[in-house]
Amino acid sequence: MKELKQLLIMMAMVIVGITAMSMAPSSVHAATDNSLAAVQKKGTLVLATSPDYPPYEFQVNQKGKSKIVGMDVSIAKKIAKDIHVKLVIKSMTFDSLLVALETGKADMVLGGMNPTPSRRQSVDFSDIYYMGGQDFLINKADASKYPNQKSLANQKIGAQTGTLQYNLAKKYIPGVTIKGMDKGTDLVLALKTHKLEAVGMEKPTAEAYAKNDSSVIAIHSSYKLDKNSTGSAIAFRKGSDSLVAAANKSIREIKKDDLINKVYLNQAGKYLKVNTANTSMGHYWKYFAEGVEYTLIIAAVSGIIGVLLGVILALMRLANNKLLKGIAVGYIEFVRGTPLMVQVLFVYFGVGVIINLPALVSGIIAVSLNSGAYIAEIIRGGIDSVSKGQDEAAKSLGLSKTDIMRSVILPQALKNIWPALGNEFISLIKESSIVSIIGVTDLIYQLNIVRADTYRGVMPVFVAMVLYFILTFGLTRILNHFEGRMQHDS
Amino acid sequence: MTHNAVIEVKDLAKKYGKNDVLKNISEEVHDGQVICVIGPSGAGKSTFLRCLNKLESPTKGQIKFNGTEITTLSEKELSTVREKMGMVFQNFNLFPNMTVIQNLVLAPIKVKKMSSQDAEKEARSLLKRVGLEEKANAYPDSLSGGQQQRVAIARALAMNPQVMLFDEPTSALDPEMVGEVLAVMKELAEEGMTMVVVTHEMGFAKQVADEIWFMADGYIQEQGTPTEVFDHPKTDRAKDFISKIINS
Ligand SMILES: Nc1ncnc2c1ncn2[C@@H]1O[C@H](COP(=O)(O)OP(=O)(O)O)[C@@H](O)[C@H]1O
Ligand SMILES: [Mg+2]
Repeated sequence: MKELKQLLIMMAMVIVGITAMSMAPSSVHAATDNSLAAVQKKGTLVLATSPDYPPYEFQVNQKGKSKIVGMDVSIAKKIAKDIHVKLVIKSMTFDSLLVALETGKADMVLGGMNPTPSRRQSVDFSDIYYMGGQDFLINKADASKYPNQKSLANQKIGAQTGTLQYNLAKKYIPGVTIKGMDKGTDLVLALKTHKLEAVGMEKPTAEAYAKNDSSVIAIHSSYKLDKNSTGSAIAFRKGSDSLVAAANKSIREIKKDDLINKVYLNQAGKYLKVNTANTSMGHYWKYFAEGVEYTLIIAAVSGIIGVLLGVILALMRLANNKLLKGIAVGYIEFVRGTPLMVQVLFVYFGVGVIINLPALVSGIIAVSLNSGAYIAEIIRGGIDSVSKGQDEAAKSLGLSKTDIMRSVILPQALKNIWPALGNEFISLIKESSIVSIIGVTDLIYQLNIVRADTYRGVMPVFVAMVLYFILTFGLTRILNHFEGRMQHDS
Repeated sequence: MTHNAVIEVKDLAKKYGKNDVLKNISEEVHDGQVICVIGPSGAGKSTFLRCLNKLESPTKGQIKFNGTEITTLSEKELSTVREKMGMVFQNFNLFPNMTVIQNLVLAPIKVKKMSSQDAEKEARSLLKRVGLEEKANAYPDSLSGGQQQRVAIARALAMNPQVMLFDEPTSALDPEMVGEVLAVMKELAEEGMTMVVVTHEMGFAKQVADEIWFMADGYIQEQGTPTEVFDHPKTDRAKDFISKIINS
């Protein structure tokens, strides 16, 4: 009963902590507006974007270096130049962009984003800088079957989840079945394999796909829309009036000279050609290499920290001290009871309100804290598996508790749990891929970039799959080697 | 005789929940004495032995070792008592992750802060004594039960204990290996080691023991020389038990 009570208190403390942190941002934007001055003082304008959306923003692989380019990036550059600061680009998934803004990870967000009323509730928007219009992508073979929006009635249509295109199709096309996916590349793949009849997209994106893939074409939609739900605007943290004003000034200049159509889109088109000139996977090996590198770094560092944390938690859990035990039990139960993805988001955005941690560090912390809890349970099981007689024999020799643990119990426990620990390390390699949502350039992240850049749906997935397999298989061999070495004693 | 009692037990009782395992035991073990404890299974013999080095905490009563009360000592202070009381278990309890020699030197190095050379030298001479010199670098699991138990005895002796406690050291062994272990114990007794041995080996007890304690139902029901207890048991419980082990 007492233990249950302690556990509940622990939980309550954790929840209070989280709530306190989630309250913090509101006090941040309650401050009077010094947003422009603040940006100018630090000398950098931080743009958050999701570079898998050509021609708005995407990554280009030029002279062995990869950089983020596109129409939105050109606009961001101009704004930075106009207020005399340097542009810094942070990449992450589309879903994370506005959170990054609210939690101070970024100063502005460009992502072909429509300033919808619901988004306006949490952020401020600049004037509309571009009216893309809405298209559908269809298979070329279906050109006569689906000449216009009306002909798509009662069909299966795809759109990115949470986007305007998704809501429009649902609302205005009679009898339609909507299939939502996260990635444009996945939608196009579904289209080409006839799981979908059409995909709703922004006009420039649809045109870019059509240009790069001869089996699909773009047709215009006939939605009647107001500017706010179809144009793109720049998002800022609430209350950044001076920064918004500065951006609007730059946007007016861009519009006056029609820079988007005359310059930016042409540049983007050229970059796209660079990307699609050679879409062989070999050409993109550097992307994959970097992905493998980051995946390994995260798994290795988190594995080591996880083991250390796991040992500490396991010893706390086995301790006689009720408080230590309660803390360990509460921690383990809490971590195991929440998804890793939520933990990653919490560390990056939630804790980020207090200390601004880079994405990689946040990712490693979250994955370490997570695996620590699982490893603690494995280790506890291992310690329990060592017979009581071992402890008694060691005690009867006068050995201290620490020496018994270190020389007698833990080595035997380690041997017993080695296979389970191996499983945990393997799953660490695979599960850590969730950090891609906060823009850590691990293998999954790079996979999505390559898919977006090359307009190839399947091949990059296959390459990533093989790479993951090589990593886990290699690790299995190494672990087996050590297991063999521990076997000499039996 | 009380002046040289190594272990003094007074009013010792032990309960596991509602189960009265030991009910009021008062005994003394004197320097150089060999005591054999016999009695039916479940009588509380192991529990009694394990109370002596406080692997179990008594519910009531006092235990003095060399005149020092040990029931009130902390786990840390107990370590200095335990190193002077070697214990040998029914299931050997060698550390399977270490070689034989590592099993022997661990405690001397960690507890007595001996140098590893000294500890190893000592260990090798002990292994020679139990006839297992050539097994120094073997792992316990590759040894026979008899060999493992001899290593376990050597490991306890490596701490140079004042008393040795044995809890049915031969009951887990195949019959052909019992002799080699008893031989080592006999030699130890002849050298003057103070020993408390829980055993069913009548031959050994008759030959080596100074005193036999017969235990049943949580009491020491009868005690005396081997001849007194084995040949002229007074209580029916003892008569019954002794006739059973003789005929088995
Ligand atoms: N750790 C324990 N917890 C609960 N009961 C125990 C424990 N150890 C022993 N007992 C009980 O104490 C009694 C005596 O056990 P033990 O001392 O092992 O007897 P013996 O060694 O004479 O066979 C038995 O009834 C046994 O079930
Ligand atoms: Mg017993």
